[in-house]
Amino acid sequence: MTGIVDAEGVTKRYGEVLGLNGFTATFSSGITGLVGPNGAGKSTFFRLLAGQLRSDAGTLTLLGHPAWGQGEFRRRVGYCPEGAAMFDWMTGEDFVTTLLRIDGFSRTDAIERAGRAISSVGLTDARERRIRVYSKGMRQRIKLAQCIAHDPELILLDEPLNGVDPVGRASLSALLRQLSHDGHHLIVSSHVLYEVERLTDQIVMISNGRTIAEGDIHRIRDLIDARPHVIELESPDPRGLARFLGSWDHVVSIEFLGTARLRVLTRSPDAFYAALPELVVSEGITVRAVHSADDNLDAVFRYLSEGMR
Amino acid sequence: MSISSPRYTAPSVDRLGRASRTLAVLRHELLSRAGLGTLLVVALAYIAVTLIVVFDADFASAAGQLSVSTYEAPFQSPLWALVILIVATAAGAGSVAEDRGSRSIVLYLSRPIHLSDYLSAKAGSIGSWILIAAVGPGLVAVGILAALGVGSATVNLSAAAGFVATGVLAALFFTGLALALSSLTDRALYAGVAMFGLVLSLDIGVGVVSGITGNSTVLYASPVTDLTSVAEAAFHVAGPYPTDPVSSAVLLAVVGGLLAVAAYWQLSQVEVVGE
Repeated sequence: MTGIVDAEGVTKRYGEVLGLNGFTATFSSGITGLVGPNGAGKSTFFRLLAGQLRSDAGTLTLLGHPAWGQGEFRRRVGYCPEGAAMFDWMTGEDFVTTLLRIDGFSRTDAIERAGRAISSVGLTDARERRIRVYSKGMRQRIKLAQCIAHDPELILLDEPLNGVDPVGRASLSALLRQLSHDGHHLIVSSHVLYEVERLTDQIVMISNGRTIAEGDIHRIRDLIDARPHVIELESPDPRGLARFLGSWDHVVSIEFLGTARLRVLTRSPDAFYAALPELVVSEGITVRAVHSADDNLDAVFRYLSEGMR
Repeated sequence: MSISSPRYTAPSVDRLGRASRTLAVLRHELLSRAGLGTLLVVALAYIAVTLIVVFDADFASAAGQLSVSTYEAPFQSPLWALVILIVATAAGAGSVAEDRGSRSIVLYLSRPIHLSDYLSAKAGSIGSWILIAAVGPGLVAVGILAALGVGSATVNLSAAAGFVATGVLAALFFTGLALALSSLTDRALYAGVAMFGLVLSLDIGVGVVSGITGNSTVLYASPVTDLTSVAEAAFHVAGPYPTDPVSSAVLLAVVGGLLAVAAYWQLSQVEVVGE
């Protein structure tokens, strides 16, 4: 195999639990989506790529180098981990600058690059605030900034849009497409197929630690479109939001979860995700977060998994 | 899936070498450990040691009895070792453990940073904090006395050398200890409790065993006793010393180094599983 990232029979165990089970895939240039439900093994795969974990069996290489361990080749890789691995006491600008200094940039270069990266993720106004006061979406953005600031050849993004507001998702998706257009290779994980679909046609689907499909996204999404899709929204005014959502044809039902959450069932997630940012902008409604429940995806993954046996 | 060759070519950018990258980690680590607790203990060390040394030396000078051994006064109190232990714990217990616990270790090790560079920076930070607390106050006191014209240049320089020798050995040992224990866990609290438990139990334990058996060799097992012997010899205090100062000095340095190597080995086996 001669991809940017090659995985051949990669197995990773956590005691009795299998994180990856003979995972095999080739990730070529451009953007590749790694899609699977929660617990499928996406983060395990990223941690193996980042050199955090060592595989128990199989071979895993990135940019021609074995994934386990450190080395100079890591300067060609940017990694945006899932979870809160941050220096919360620092400002966003110091955080990115410090990591650039660790990458080997001079102070002047680091400050300049940090400014550019922070600007590209839309955090310029908040760059001098401490990370501990950042919202979840802002934390995702600053993590993305540190990941791209050193201009890496390969960018690994573990659920990069998770917790980001709808408008932010659109702008970050545009940024990722731009990075790909500029020649960077991206591997983006998500449990939301529609997110990945807006970025690329190339996907690798993973379930129970195994590859269940790879290649063109369209065949798989046909299966998913046949099922209603559950989306949860966080908003300080859920009733006001529901009034607008209820007028959309494809919305099947709306359920209130507490005082600031909504669960929406839609027959057309595509149309929903396309219309939501417009609604937020045109009506001035605040939507703090969008979560795509993956129960419906699970059904598709089960179907695909069974088809492989 | 189609396979294509890489087409990205990163623009050529001059990057600094390993030493600069290690220094960047060290700088970050030094700043991150500059918490209120650490600064408070260090400030107390400066105030206490400076006052003790300056007043003792001033009185001894007035009585015409000033010598290098006068400057050893802070080491006669177990509080000195306790302060160093507190600073080492504050600066070192969380150095690796917190990075593992928060998974921020990923931010270092997914970059072109070698594990040895990462640990060297951590050691540099812990050691620097210990030196600031262990050597700094003594040197400040000597500086004040020299400025006041108390003590000859020879006495003051010898005393300064005593503070440096004792402080460097304390830094070597406690840095190794902190790194080793911090690399064993992802909780700073566990590492801190282990540091205190180990040092204090060894000090008390070997004292009891030595008292019962009359065997003074076991005293080498207590780093506090070893440091006391080294300090007494460094400040020309008349013997007999609890242990042989040279042997104690070698023991502290070697054990500190071995503990740092153990930390490297331990960390090279560690996987960051995460939440």
